[in-house]
Amino acid sequence: MSSWLAEASAIFAKDWRAEARNLYALNTLGLFAVTTLVLVSVGLGPMGVTAAGAQVLPFLLWIVLLFATSAGLPRAFVQEEETHTATALRLAARPSAVFWGKLAFSLSLTWALEALVAPLFLAMVQLSVKSPGLFVVGLVAGGFGLAAASTVIAAIIAQTRAGSTLFAVLSFPILIPLLLLVVELTRNAVDGATADVVLRQLLLYDGSVAVAGAMLFPAIWNP
Amino acid sequence: MPATTAPLPVLHFRDVRRRFGRLSVLRGVSGRVASGEVLLVTGPNGSGKSTLLRCLAGLLAPDDGDIDYREAMPDAAPLSAAERRLRVGYVAPDLALYEELTAAENLLFFARLRGVPVELGAILLDRLSLPPDRAVGALSSGMRQKLRWAWALLHRPRLLLLDEPFQNLDGAGEAVVRELLEEHLADGLAVLAQPVDVEPSASWKVAEHVELAG
Repeated sequence: MSSWLAEASAIFAKDWRAEARNLYALNTLGLFAVTTLVLVSVGLGPMGVTAAGAQVLPFLLWIVLLFATSAGLPRAFVQEEETHTATALRLAARPSAVFWGKLAFSLSLTWALEALVAPLFLAMVQLSVKSPGLFVVGLVAGGFGLAAASTVIAAIIAQTRAGSTLFAVLSFPILIPLLLLVVELTRNAVDGATADVVLRQLLLYDGSVAVAGAMLFPAIWNP
Repeated sequence: MPATTAPLPVLHFRDVRRRFGRLSVLRGVSGRVASGEVLLVTGPNGSGKSTLLRCLAGLLAPDDGDIDYREAMPDAAPLSAAERRLRVGYVAPDLALYEELTAAENLLFFARLRGVPVELGAILLDRLSLPPDRAVGALSSGMRQKLRWAWALLHRPRLLLLDEPFQNLDGAGEAVVRELLEEHLADGLAVLAQPVDVEPSASWKVAEHVELAG
């Protein structure tokens, strides 16, 4: 294994080991997601069987996922700065390995959250999906975009004192295009329509955010 | 009488300046330290000793000045700030390790990052009498300071930057740390320390002092 890959893997494994002990992100994401799921299902009932369901529910699903990840993912960097472990990490790992290791951790958390939330959501609102494959592709690609954008924004806000407020401000312009694309893709999956163009745009968004994040990160992370 | 060659400088910094807003903390600081030497940085509280160490470690970018750090060998090229950052050892109060992980897990993690044999961590923990399986969050402040030393020496750095290095250590703890330090100095380590709590040992080859004005 190359030394760069070994560094990124070590950071990924360290973050999961620490998470397994303090359960901060898992608890935050899980509680937020379950609470909003219950609220949506109680408030709307079996809306999936109505004509409006296919238009409204994909949007609600991604709102739940967006806010749940926003509550938990920024901790990846904020905690390193707050507990002063960032100094040791800066002096021991290349910035690119830190970025990809943290991104892998955020991505695994996001995909785990989606694996929990999406089936529960579909069952609670009784929404049937005509193209399950496309639905899963949307979750995977949308989850990657969410994790990549959140990782970059978290690295920026960790250097500031107004972290949580700044996360909302910075994430708004970056995540809105992602949200629009992924909601459209999910609607197509529910209707059984093709979504080649939207999927290409979503993958382009994912690639752009990941590449821009990797290029920006050394300047954010180090003086 | 055979000609003696002066040790090659490991670190040579010239006219380093750093401001924080309107406050000028470092106003043109210069110094040099060679392999096997100790350079003491003195000055009153607030004179910029810790800031200088952070600049030299690559954790803070100076506003002006030149920091030339190279391996102690002929024809070695100066290292960039990014390369310097990964090679220095650093002991300071603002450095913490992961509280959820044990002492051994922390050193294992950093050994993997630095690409050094993982056994080195266990050897250092044993030398410093640290409990390997206790979470860092449950260590005393003296034990945490010894763990900082283990972390700093894990990759056998050629330059060690010390900011209050004996803080919270009892007599036995300071003695074992000094013993480790002297072994590394004999092996060619260069040390730059701010001597709030550093009384130089008789065996140290102390280079010129750098005195910072308050």
